[in-house]
Amino acid sequence: MDQGTMETLNEIKSLAAKQFGGESDLIDENAPVDRLGIDSLGFLEFLFELEDHFDISIPQERIAHVRTLNDLATAIDSLLAKKQATAN
Amino acid sequence: MHRVVVTGLGVIAPVGRNPSEFFDGLIAARSGIRPVASETIPQPHSLVAGQIDFDPSRYFLAHQAAQLDRATQFALAAASDAIVDASLELTEQQALRTGVYWGTGLGGATSIEESYRNFFVGNGRVRPTAVVMGMNNAAAGQISITYGFRGPVLNLSTACSSSASAIGEAYRAIRGGYADVIVAGGSEALVTLGNLMAWDAMRAIAHADPFDPSRSCKPFSANRVGLVLGEGAGALVLERSDWAVRRGSHIYAEIVGYGNTSDAFNISKPDSAGQVRAMRLALAEAELMPDEIDYVNAHGTATQIGDVVETNALKEVFAERSRPWVSSTKALHGHLMGASGAVEMVASVMALEHGIVPPTAHLDVSDPSCDLDYVPNEARSRELRAVMSNSFGFGGMNAVLIARRLPRIVR
Repeated sequence: MDQGTMETLNEIKSLAAKQFGGESDLIDENAPVDRLGIDSLGFLEFLFELEDHFDISIPQERIAHVRTLNDLATAIDSLLAKKQATAN
Repeated sequence: MHRVVVTGLGVIAPVGRNPSEFFDGLIAARSGIRPVASETIPQPHSLVAGQIDFDPSRYFLAHQAAQLDRATQFALAAASDAIVDASLELTEQQALRTGVYWGTGLGGATSIEESYRNFFVGNGRVRPTAVVMGMNNAAAGQISITYGFRGPVLNLSTACSSSASAIGEAYRAIRGGYADVIVAGGSEALVTLGNLMAWDAMRAIAHADPFDPSRSCKPFSANRVGLVLGEGAGALVLERSDWAVRRGSHIYAEIVGYGNTSDAFNISKPDSAGQVRAMRLALAEAELMPDEIDYVNAHGTATQIGDVVETNALKEVFAERSRPWVSSTKALHGHLMGASGAVEMVASVMALEHGIVPPTAHLDVSDPSCDLDYVPNEARSRELRAVMSNSFGFGGMNAVLIARRLPRIVR
């Protein structure tokens, strides 16, 4: 895992802790999100917050296979990289 | 035909955040009406509303509350109190025969308004929860989900009579054997900028009383200037009487009559003929003579015409020598729109239970066109045999409920 992903993941975990309660250090990034007590609607709300936070748009096809927060960090990193490339 | 009794009460309203606080407030003529805060209406204004200091964190986790419109939060708070009050503990089988009948005028109006504001003038984004928070049946759904009630569910929207109709239809469903228990009531949260402006455009709402904003709503008083919006929710647990007796529940009252009629007259102007028919249908179903009704909780919105039309209807139904005490508690909590029928039915059932009639507050100047005994300004006590609660909605939609004390032998 590269440094960028780690940073993104930590931001995601801290946002998840803020939205759903609990401590970000205790969130298991490899657990399926529904096991973190996040239902499907809650997950959509969370994506909405992440889009605002990272100033990106997360297309549906990029999250179709997302099961864990780690998956999500990978997806967001690639979107951030794409955004960076477009800006350059 | 089963008999139907009330075994649980819940209310969250401008006068009180639980039934006893609410009823004590009504008896003491404590107003829950105050100027609308500048967070709601930024520009200078003179609007007032019945408002609740509501702390969602007392009832919900933050991420749960974020998925519930303010009206649905009220609904869950009131339903929870009613269910606890009724000591309702259901088996899986019983849950299949337990339902939710709910009433609301505009459902998740706060969420819809916020969504559109954000979309049109904000950052252009609509939250993913906008649909499920805004839809009219959100409260009924959330109550059913929270408590696992799997029986019949209905959401009624007949403007200001919504929750009275919900209670009436729930009574009929239990009576007819379609359910054993129903949590019935209604919720509304319309103290929003867009909604207040809409009502003001109709010239239907009172602006602040220049001397005391809390006294802006003056039903049946000659100096009345219109209705005052309120917010909140009311819930009643209705159940089959034999069921309630068997499990030893406290029984507040028996619901004995429900009248539902349409004026078929005008979309906003009420008509006493439709109201008279609704009251008479309820009386006939209750098998009560008009002189057996000791108290009427009036619709009494404090509009110029509405109070006169209702007065005329009451005079037609109740003979002069045996007229019941009539009061409008809206003077204190405002008009809770779709929730008003339920909140006022809670007040009516508590009046029956305690033998105390809440007054019509702020009735200072008598109006020759409103010449009934409205219990002005001070509560009165006496044993009440039966009470009637009137709710008349825009569209000419009338719902009248009658409750009576159970004979002691059944209690």
